[in-house]
Amino acid sequence: MNNSVYGSRRNFLKLCSHAGLGFATPLGLASMVQSKGDAAEFEGYPGPYYVVFNASGGWDTTYLMDPKGIDGINRLYQEEDIVTVGEHRFAPTAKHIKDGMSNEDFFAKNGSELRVLNGLDLSVNNHTPCARYMATGKLDSLAYPTFPALVAACYGSQAPLAFLTFGNYSATGNIVPMSRVPYLQSLNLLAKGDYVEGNDRAPYHDSFVSDRIERALEQQFEARVSEVRLPRVEWSQSMLYSAQVNSKALQRVVPYIPKVPAKERLAQQADISLAAFKAGVCVSANLSIGQFDSHNNNDVDQMTLLPELLAGMDSLLRRAEDLQIRDKLVVIIQSEMGRTPNYNSGNGKDHWSIGSVMFLGTGITGNRVIGATDEKQQLVPIDPKTLTIDRVKGIRVRPEHIHLALRQFAGVQDHAFCKQFPLEVAPSEKLEGFWG
Amino acid sequence: MFTRWTPLLVVIAIQILSGRASIGQNQTRSVLSSKSDVECQMDVRTFEEEIWAKVGERTCLKCHNVNGDASDSDFLLSAIDTALEDTQPIMLENSRAFETMATAIEGNRSRMLLKVSGELDHGGGEVLKPDSHGYKILERYLRRLSRDGTELASHEPIDGYTAPPFFEGVAMISQPRLLRRITLSLSGRLPSEEELGAVHQNGLSAMDAILDRIMKEDAFFVQLKEGFNDIFLTVGIEDNAETLLSYDHFEHTRLWTQKHDLDHLPKTDQQKARWALADVYRDALLREPLELIAFIVRNDRPFSELATADYIMVSPYTARGYGIFEEMKDQFKNIDDPFEYIPARLKALKGRDGRTQESTTGLYPHAGFLSMFHYLRRYPSTETNRNRLRARMFFQHFLGIDLMQLAPRGTDASAVAAKYETPTMQAAECVVCHKVMDPVAGLFQDFNFEGNLGPRKKGWYDDMFQAGFEDESLPASERWRAQQWLAERAIKHPRFPIAMVEHVYSILFGRKVLQPPEDIGSPMFGANRRAYLAQRKMIEKVAKQFAESNLNLKTAFKALLLSDFYRADGLATVAEHPQRSSELDDVGVVRLLGPEQLERKLQAIFGKPWGRLGKELKILYGGIDSITVTERNADPSGAMGAIQRIMANDVACNHVAKDFRLDPSQRLLFSKIEPSVLPTDEASIQQIRQAIVSLQQRILGQDRAIDHPEVERAFQLFVGTLADAKAQVSYEPRESYFCGGREEFRVNDPDYTVRAWRGVVTYLLRQHEFLYE
Repeated sequence: MNNSVYGSRRNFLKLCSHAGLGFATPLGLASMVQSKGDAAEFEGYPGPYYVVFNASGGWDTTYLMDPKGIDGINRLYQEEDIVTVGEHRFAPTAKHIKDGMSNEDFFAKNGSELRVLNGLDLSVNNHTPCARYMATGKLDSLAYPTFPALVAACYGSQAPLAFLTFGNYSATGNIVPMSRVPYLQSLNLLAKGDYVEGNDRAPYHDSFVSDRIERALEQQFEARVSEVRLPRVEWSQSMLYSAQVNSKALQRVVPYIPKVPAKERLAQQADISLAAFKAGVCVSANLSIGQFDSHNNNDVDQMTLLPELLAGMDSLLRRAEDLQIRDKLVVIIQSEMGRTPNYNSGNGKDHWSIGSVMFLGTGITGNRVIGATDEKQQLVPIDPKTLTIDRVKGIRVRPEHIHLALRQFAGVQDHAFCKQFPLEVAPSEKLEGFWG
Repeated sequence: MFTRWTPLLVVIAIQILSGRASIGQNQTRSVLSSKSDVECQMDVRTFEEEIWAKVGERTCLKCHNVNGDASDSDFLLSAIDTALEDTQPIMLENSRAFETMATAIEGNRSRMLLKVSGELDHGGGEVLKPDSHGYKILERYLRRLSRDGTELASHEPIDGYTAPPFFEGVAMISQPRLLRRITLSLSGRLPSEEELGAVHQNGLSAMDAILDRIMKEDAFFVQLKEGFNDIFLTVGIEDNAETLLSYDHFEHTRLWTQKHDLDHLPKTDQQKARWALADVYRDALLREPLELIAFIVRNDRPFSELATADYIMVSPYTARGYGIFEEMKDQFKNIDDPFEYIPARLKALKGRDGRTQESTTGLYPHAGFLSMFHYLRRYPSTETNRNRLRARMFFQHFLGIDLMQLAPRGTDASAVAAKYETPTMQAAECVVCHKVMDPVAGLFQDFNFEGNLGPRKKGWYDDMFQAGFEDESLPASERWRAQQWLAERAIKHPRFPIAMVEHVYSILFGRKVLQPPEDIGSPMFGANRRAYLAQRKMIEKVAKQFAESNLNLKTAFKALLLSDFYRADGLATVAEHPQRSSELDDVGVVRLLGPEQLERKLQAIFGKPWGRLGKELKILYGGIDSITVTERNADPSGAMGAIQRIMANDVACNHVAKDFRLDPSQRLLFSKIEPSVLPTDEASIQQIRQAIVSLQQRILGQDRAIDHPEVERAFQLFVGTLADAKAQVSYEPRESYFCGGREEFRVNDPDYTVRAWRGVVTYLLRQHEFLYE
């Protein structure tokens, strides 16, 4: 059976070549066509695996990686309480949390691998545009894909769950389908779609019938490649055929589905993502927890959610270690905005257009902090070449700078999909050596 | 009106203004008028695509129009009215105004370039940075003007491409297939023989009467409510639905199920029955807003009642929650039907403190959705949000304007926030939107965060623009009926019918209407803009028909269903030029059926739904829960591909053997063939092929000739399967236990034909023609 699947995939690639499906073709068919020879035999996407953690609603960076403790910016600690581990300075939270992971534990455990950018200019301070800007690097377009969607399109056109999302802004730019898998056990069901209720001993069809059906569908797809079709028809037929062909590879996930599902919401998302990564059927995952929008009782909310976020991160890394893919993970931890340097009358903090972002994983040098905010939590410009503070000639780092650096880091900056969605960054403003 | 909004909004807003530009100096008119008409048209087209679309419309028009901030300037422009058949005269005037401004010199530089750079006291400041695409476009324009003195140098079409009429070369769907698409889409059923006959006989002209009938069927209202929930998401209430009725006003009635007399049941069953009763009551409450929509449409009432209805819809169950059951019970046909809805008016609400809501009529001031607790709860507020979410949703839902869609980049929002005490009233970059949004937010000031009646104890905020709409303030005497006051203005707004037609478009096409392209640096900008304008013209035309029909929503459905956009089905010729291909990117319905729609289609074809897509597979198959997942998947992922595989296997398994067990006259799939027919002679082969034609007609909606390649492919699947089976050492002489045995019948299948037909049906169910609309 598997041979026929791979046969289908091989033929599919050939069909695309014959049809002249180029980069204009959605779904990443182009990358399938253009990819190296080994792509013809889909052995699973080998990594790196990209994970984006979203603190949805706007986190308070001064309670995490950009501590202040002055001028009433933080009520839970003073400047002298700030903790330092290596290059990282962070807010002390161990005394203020009930559950989850404290900053102290998180930085002690991961600081050597962690890279932080403080002072990210999101330019506006409303959730929708900020979330879009942070996720895509483009403020004024609804068409751009998020970074995990983009990298999934570039690398994972054969992967059935190339781009997994669990919430937050998840636009795909119509270059890769998004997959929502809310429950781990759903994967079991999907992986065995040719068997009655997933029972290995009860196939719906004898194998020779299944093979005939697959071949007929393949021949039909081949015939349609040469037909004159509306662009939407052409595109959707490709998407559909690809989805069905690729779905067979979901069988690979089964061995990696944990017997006991996690209880915590981020750990559940992480487990689904890791099983899909390990099986080689997924390139990127967009993880999310919400309610960070702490307009009321900021400290209570942030001291609940930040530890939950860090615990989710920790769970991902631990489970990845167990699955022996820890060294293939690239993790981005972000939020669509920060919180104001002052409390409002409801003990909350409102939207603030200056934020931070953290990175960790293979190819990223840790124990490094780039950029800063000043005592009023205003952005301090940096020299894009040296990444050091330059208040006079420096630039304000914005999401497009980060996304351009991410595209370069992922090695997709010259991919046709990136050219389809260009980021406008002047050559003099490109961040150099951002990861090293 | 909206003269300070973001570019997109400005364009939208200006489109509704009727002002015309005054013509600039006549310096260039003589030059232009000396050319041939063809040359003039070419100049104007080039100007429109290169200069107007990329700079004029987006950058200059927002102030330089007769109603704009620069209305006293010599440089005045006019928006394109897409309703006009010929927009060239307006564009010619704009072109002349541009040439006059561009060729005027200050010092050694063009006055136009100086102005856009913020010099010469330009009222709008710097509107284009020197390294921007827009600035470079103007520079290129000036170079062309100066090259031969006065005109655009090139008469050649851009990129060697001349756009044909928009639908040239696009094939429209056949009328029988259009009918099938419509009946499945609107009513979840296949066309009747009578309807097919009418269409065969009278063509499209038969469609009007057919649509009138379809839009009276109950199934249409299921689809209608589902479609509008995708827009308003009002079933997405996280709390128990009875909390929609506030403790303050409905303390004694909202939990009526807890005290309802169940003595007629054995005591041991009562608790379970009470829980079931509460579940149904909650469901009935959640349905109320969508039932209002159904009521309006069913009774051909003006759809403006979405905002102005002075009533709500209640059922016997929900009426009990409001405490009005006794006074209404005689109006219900069946007081035990939790989902029989009729209109009702609430009296002014009385709080636990004994005070009654201010109302000169003695009634709760109903204003359609705008005063419904469901709508206000679905879009809650906070102390700092101050009803701005509600205001934003008002603009989005009732005027089709998303204030958050394209936020302008401020210089530095954090610096602005630090600089001004009240940025939303003082900082220009904040004021542009807040001046529009905050007055509407203020209109909801008498509702609390959860959407219940309950004004803020400290009074409404004075550091916000005060309650009103556009330039009109809410009179104090109208505050008690602020939602009604807003609704009266909203439904008169030119955007209201357009927004409603856009809603219907999204229901029928499964996606939102196109937005104007923003990326002026893209080589496809012109193509995308042409596509946008073509669709916009259609939407505005339908909106006009809709308005003229007294806002009868069925008019909008009909007009869209018969539009070229809905009927487009293929290409007569290859769209070889990338510009043409890009123009046609969004043409055609081509919509992946959602889980509910797919179930309805299965029901229509097989007589019963699959039954799994509405439950555990709903979200996996791209559906929504109206709370956290609010947008449907437009494209299938591998996970969805797996579900399609399961569905095709399972549905074929459930129906093929069972169909063969029925008398041929009762069969849905195989009425003219038996499992005993083998491809052994020409007559049998023809019979098998004919059966395939029938299957493709029923399952895919394709009327194909018996020698069609797709019929041949399915035939080869069938005969190939039989050959493969025969080549096996042995096979079970009966159909699988799972495809019948579980229902206590087994079908003998000595020749393997039943299983071969099952393979054919599985194959058909996995096809694009079945899974997409």
